[in-house]
Amino acid sequence: MQWFDALVQGILLGGMYAQYALGMALMFGVMRIVNISHGDLVILLSLVGISMASAWGWGPLPVLIALVPLAVLMGWVLQKTVLNKVVGSDPLPSLIATFGLSVALQNLMLQIWSANSRSLPGGGIESQSIEIGGIYIGLLPVIVLIVATALTWGLDIMLKRTRFGRALRAASADVEAAAMTGINPRAIYALATAVAVGILGFAAVFQALRSTVAPADGPAQLIYAFEAVIIGGMGSVWGAFIGSMVLGISQGIGFRIDPGFGVLAGHIVFLIVLATRPQGLFGRA
Amino acid sequence: MTAVLSTHGLIARYGDFQALYGVDTELNAGEAVALIGANGAGKSTFLRSIMGLLPVSRDMVRLDGEPVGGTPTDRMVQKGIAIVPEGRRLFTGMSVEDNLRVAIDQATRVGAKGGWTLGRLHQLFPILKEKARTPVQSLSGGQQQMVSIGRALLCQPRVLLCDEISLGLAPKVIREIYAALPEIRAAGTAMIVVEQDVGLAQSATDRLYCMLEGRVTLTGRSAEVTREQIGEAYFGAGHAVV
Amino acid sequence: MTMTAIPYADTEAPDVLVERQSRSGRVAMTLAVLGLIGLAVMPWWASTGTIRSVLELCCYIAVAQMWNLLAGYAGLVSVGQQAFMGAAGYALFVLAQTYGINPFVAIFLSLLVPAVLAVPIYFLLHRLDGPYFSIGTWVVAEVFRLTASNMPIVNSGAGMSLRVMKDFSSFERNVAMSLLCAFMLLVTLGGSYWLLRSRFGLALIAMRDNPIAAASQGVNVAKLRFLIYVAAAVGCGLAGSIYFMAQLRITPGSAFDPMWANVAIFIVMIGGIGSIEGVLIGSLIYFIADRWFGEYGATYFVVLGLMTLLVALYARTGIWGLVSKRWDAPWFPIRRKLVHRKL
Repeated sequence: MQWFDALVQGILLGGMYAQYALGMALMFGVMRIVNISHGDLVILLSLVGISMASAWGWGPLPVLIALVPLAVLMGWVLQKTVLNKVVGSDPLPSLIATFGLSVALQNLMLQIWSANSRSLPGGGIESQSIEIGGIYIGLLPVIVLIVATALTWGLDIMLKRTRFGRALRAASADVEAAAMTGINPRAIYALATAVAVGILGFAAVFQALRSTVAPADGPAQLIYAFEAVIIGGMGSVWGAFIGSMVLGISQGIGFRIDPGFGVLAGHIVFLIVLATRPQGLFGRA
Repeated sequence: MTAVLSTHGLIARYGDFQALYGVDTELNAGEAVALIGANGAGKSTFLRSIMGLLPVSRDMVRLDGEPVGGTPTDRMVQKGIAIVPEGRRLFTGMSVEDNLRVAIDQATRVGAKGGWTLGRLHQLFPILKEKARTPVQSLSGGQQQMVSIGRALLCQPRVLLCDEISLGLAPKVIREIYAALPEIRAAGTAMIVVEQDVGLAQSATDRLYCMLEGRVTLTGRSAEVTREQIGEAYFGAGHAVV
Repeated sequence: MTMTAIPYADTEAPDVLVERQSRSGRVAMTLAVLGLIGLAVMPWWASTGTIRSVLELCCYIAVAQMWNLLAGYAGLVSVGQQAFMGAAGYALFVLAQTYGINPFVAIFLSLLVPAVLAVPIYFLLHRLDGPYFSIGTWVVAEVFRLTASNMPIVNSGAGMSLRVMKDFSSFERNVAMSLLCAFMLLVTLGGSYWLLRSRFGLALIAMRDNPIAAASQGVNVAKLRFLIYVAAAVGCGLAGSIYFMAQLRITPGSAFDPMWANVAIFIVMIGGIGSIEGVLIGSLIYFIADRWFGEYGATYFVVLGLMTLLVALYARTGIWGLVSKRWDAPWFPIRRKLVHRKL
């Protein structure tokens, strides 16, 4: 029963990781770029959300409604001012640029919000739970998982069925051929990053509700997102979702073995997948 | 009569390497022109420079007399030039229909009109209807080439550039594909056809240009130029044709 | 039918020399040798405080040069070299403190640990595509940190102290630190310079400029990358051992501090990637900036981060790239240059 509980908690944790991982899978799939400041953007959005809530007395929902458009705008600006200049076959410029941005963002947040951990008051939902057969399941983690599933499903449908999704898949398959079909790659990239960072707006609100956030937390979120994407296998949003579940379950079980072993257990599963199935669980070989 | 597409002293380079040395060409409305020449003569480079895939000066390429050299590729497509690129360059991982739909989407977005529809394309290449849901990477080479041509046509071009569409295909398949060209021309689309097979190029076009080492060495009516003339232009002056 | 070699009638072999050294190079080489000697004899001219500062600078140079070798030549952008620094540092502490081996012997033995660890790690990580490789190296460093935090033999999260150093007088320790600094620069900078001028050098430069073309020209890119990765692990390990020996204390947090990745990237990008000169310039800038502006803490790092970003966007060759565009006076020439012999 104890292990079943760990499994359930792991899946719920996976819901949180999926919200980080989707954006990363999308950006890497289209541009072959990994944005090292990915996690720092989540934290920045969380802190902005927390400040909004405390300044205007907003509940989680108004914060979410304000934060997602803000995140979309941030993504678009990031692409226009930074990423469009470094996208290309050489991974070095984009890594260095986003690495510098990550260092700058972390320290800027430290200046503005200090090193303290904060969280977003959820008006009670963060402490509500449902008991099912002897296992207590938090209401908030369930909401997080439902939202993560909905976001994954929505992103998948968008990629398969919409004009933007087709253009995005075309650009990720062959960017020059996409341009020969009338697609403006930079416009597609800007939209993709806007969507990716927009999803981080959801992640930011839920992260701040579920636990606490501090300016130095970004790198850990980046690593979890990355592990989820690699475990699941590149090239599909459902892969990233399943990878997040596997990572969440590994950590959940690890935590149950020893609280100091939780995060490490996730890393070890990641390394095992990398050693035995480098294309990821659901990737094409 | 102004040419629909023309190049004027077109110069292109890859870094330090100059590939085109002042190429002058003209393509009139509804006309089909062949571009022949040995490997490395600059044929693909010529098409790529027109498409804005290589940096060229504004005045070097004109569309309806308007200087358009160096315009980004996607804007060139909007202006009415489409290319069937060398190596087909399909969007792998996507179905035949999605590959074609990408072009339809973009044409719709910019409001391009030209009369090419999925239905008409299916009449031209019936196999594409049958294979609509198949991922493009599992098609045969000839079928892939048909998707590539279809994708270019759905961009609703006034000018179609075809880069070695017969490359690597069986003779029967090549005939099938070339049989579609008259119908494309009948729709009023002008064409530049880059082709290795000189005989095929001559039979499918009105005029031809032969290139050698980045320069045009021969131009004339496809039906009138002789093998000797072509041999000389193809390999350089002084080459004996046997 | 007989074949005869037809001599080129009108051409004579041009009267040229292959020059591999330049005047600026000779000046720099002399200064480098003098500098190394100066480092080795520090106890006779510098205070303990100065030696500590210089040691820190030498560690920056060594780690930055290793990162430069990885990112600037082998195309392996690592953000996790601190894994090897910490591993070697911990190995030193265990060997010297737990097993009582002479620390100055242990410091060399400790290099086996990064060397041995680098092999399986490379085989795991090289499967990751470009940018993902980088984050993979970071995960490995995190795994090391968390493992150290859970390992009783290294005193888990509490860390270790190198109390055996008390057996040596302060002067003896200063002599050892100075010699180690000189040795570290000789190995990392001198070793890189030797490597770049050797027959591997051309292959490395070809690989930096275009890996696919290099492979088609017979350069065994995969093998060379692997060797560079292991060499850089050992180089970083050496810097880590020396750094933590001087610190006398090691904890999982300090041993596997991602700050080292920040420092290496900043130094190399600002100084100029793909050159030894750039590493020296970048290290000096970082060292001085750290002394002057370090007290501003977060603001200082915001500026460092933004500078790294701007260099990546607008000046990818860094300061040395801008300098060498204007003056052709390399300090460490690695090119072969044809010069007409004076008549």
